[in-house]
Amino acid sequence: MTKKLKWSRIYLAVVFLILYAPIFYLMFYSFNSGENMYGFEGFTLDWYRAVFSDTRLLIIVLNTVIIALLSAVISTIIGVFGALAIMYVKQQRMKNTLLSLNNVLIVSPDVIIGASFLILFTIIGIRLGFTSVLLAHIAFSVPIVVIMVLPKLQEMSPTLIDAARDLGASRFEVLSKVVIPYITPGIFAGFFMALTYSLDDFAVTFFVTGNGFSTLSVEIYSLARQGISLQINALSTLIFFVTLALVIGYYFISKRSGGLVGMGVRK
Amino acid sequence: MAKLIRIFGIVTVIALVLLVVVDRLDASQGGGGGSNTLTVFNWGDYIDEELITKFEEETGIRVIYETFDSNEAMLTKIEQGGTTYDIAVPSEYTIDKMIEDDLLIELDHSQLPNMEYLNPDFMDLSFDPGNAYSIPYFWGTVGIVYNKEMVGRELTSWDDLWADDLRNDILLVDGAREIMGMGLNSLGYSLNTKEESELLEAQEKLQTLSPNIKAIVGDEIKMLIGNGEAPLGVVWSGEAAEIMYENEDLDYVVPEEGSNLWFDNMVIPKTADNVEGAHQFINFMLDPENAAQNAEYVGYSTPNAAGYELLPPEVAEDERFYPPEEVTERLEVYDNLGPEWLGRYNELFLEFKMNLR
Repeated sequence: MTKKLKWSRIYLAVVFLILYAPIFYLMFYSFNSGENMYGFEGFTLDWYRAVFSDTRLLIIVLNTVIIALLSAVISTIIGVFGALAIMYVKQQRMKNTLLSLNNVLIVSPDVIIGASFLILFTIIGIRLGFTSVLLAHIAFSVPIVVIMVLPKLQEMSPTLIDAARDLGASRFEVLSKVVIPYITPGIFAGFFMALTYSLDDFAVTFFVTGNGFSTLSVEIYSLARQGISLQINALSTLIFFVTLALVIGYYFISKRSGGLVGMGVRK
Repeated sequence: MAKLIRIFGIVTVIALVLLVVVDRLDASQGGGGGSNTLTVFNWGDYIDEELITKFEEETGIRVIYETFDSNEAMLTKIEQGGTTYDIAVPSEYTIDKMIEDDLLIELDHSQLPNMEYLNPDFMDLSFDPGNAYSIPYFWGTVGIVYNKEMVGRELTSWDDLWADDLRNDILLVDGAREIMGMGLNSLGYSLNTKEESELLEAQEKLQTLSPNIKAIVGDEIKMLIGNGEAPLGVVWSGEAAEIMYENEDLDYVVPEEGSNLWFDNMVIPKTADNVEGAHQFINFMLDPENAAQNAEYVGYSTPNAAGYELLPPEVAEDERFYPPEEVTERLEVYDNLGPEWLGRYNELFLEFKMNLR
């Protein structure tokens, strides 16, 4: 038994090593006083200074965060109502059709979604930039939220609602006092999924940005043609630690509030 | 429910606060230029950012700077509309296409007095006669970058690539015009040829190179050669300059049989909002001092004759990037071959790739 445990630990360690090695390699070189990642020449913080003095880069980082937060909030709201709607469709066939249509959007390649949005936005005359990126991110996040919320709804016993009705709750009260609290973990799971999808999306954003608006993934991609400067390493390191801090913070908050906010992620 | 609303409310507020911060940063960067803005669409890392600041200070125009990574990506954005790019910097074969598709605004030369500083050799070329639509920004060649230590001798011609001791050593860029052109040049033909027999001959010759070819790759070619994973490759001069800066064992040569001369030019797309500002920007970049500063920063070759004079001697005298006349004479600019012949080049190149071991 103990021997088995050991092997599984080694296996786990190896997997994590493979997953994290590129990130640590990148972080290591962000302190390189040389110009590139071919050899480590000495310790310096110059690249971090460069990040903070590059206003354009900071604006791009903030834009990325703003888009992620806003699109996650809006798509969560839309997605929750979408999931409720799908749940309360009586006809089984209709329900399956709606669900399949939702899934098709998740599976379709980003490039196709991006190109379609570009064509749509230019036809209806939306200026490419902040609005178009936000709309596109909301659009591709909604199906994900729906998928995260639906299992929670399905798992909820209908007797709960019947009981609430028997006790005299109005429709709105049923929704706000019974259904929503029950599916809260699913809502948060959807919110965080939408957040991460938006943060790391390249393909869709690539098509729909314009007029000086850019997000981090698109910017780094254009830079890659010339070889990525260590400034990007420094920035990535900072983002990694901010993310880490957020995850740890979230862990403690959810522990304290007894797992109420806990992500009951059921994929 | 209340908790949920509160949390989402907080997130929204954070996003809005950040929006205000971005707005502030944006304004502080622009130096209060007001509504007079200029959107520049350029390759990634292809300008000295200090020049943008200098331009903003001199003219009071705020510059919005945006980058692209390929001619095709840029073309798609501009063709599709929905954007207001005032300046774009495509390569010559794309300019051709953009002129044909009526995507560019004709330049008003009277607003570009600094044009006189340009080297006449780089003006009035086949892709844009009379420079009606475009002004050269940087130029370069196609050639061989190689690791002196690993190859152990000097390379001078395309034919050197066929040497037996270079087995499985060569990296090629994945470009039909470049590689077919290399085959044509090595046989002494024009790389704009429209003779089927010459093309077939070139393809046949390329086929015999296949034991020496390690791989046909894209942008990663720089990394592979820079790290010494392959001793030599066929690349554009700008890319070569960049890796040579990082690895001193590398050298670059424009083969003596001839090669391609390429250009990245500034144009004003039809989508432009601020045509006057765009002219001002072009004129600003043509100023010898600015051109020299930019060339020194980016590392590509400047077409600005007066700017060239201002370059530090070790840059200006580097014949690999500013080749002497006897070399430039043998360089050719790509003609627009038309879809039919371009298709033929692509076809032959594809066949060549498929027949590699």
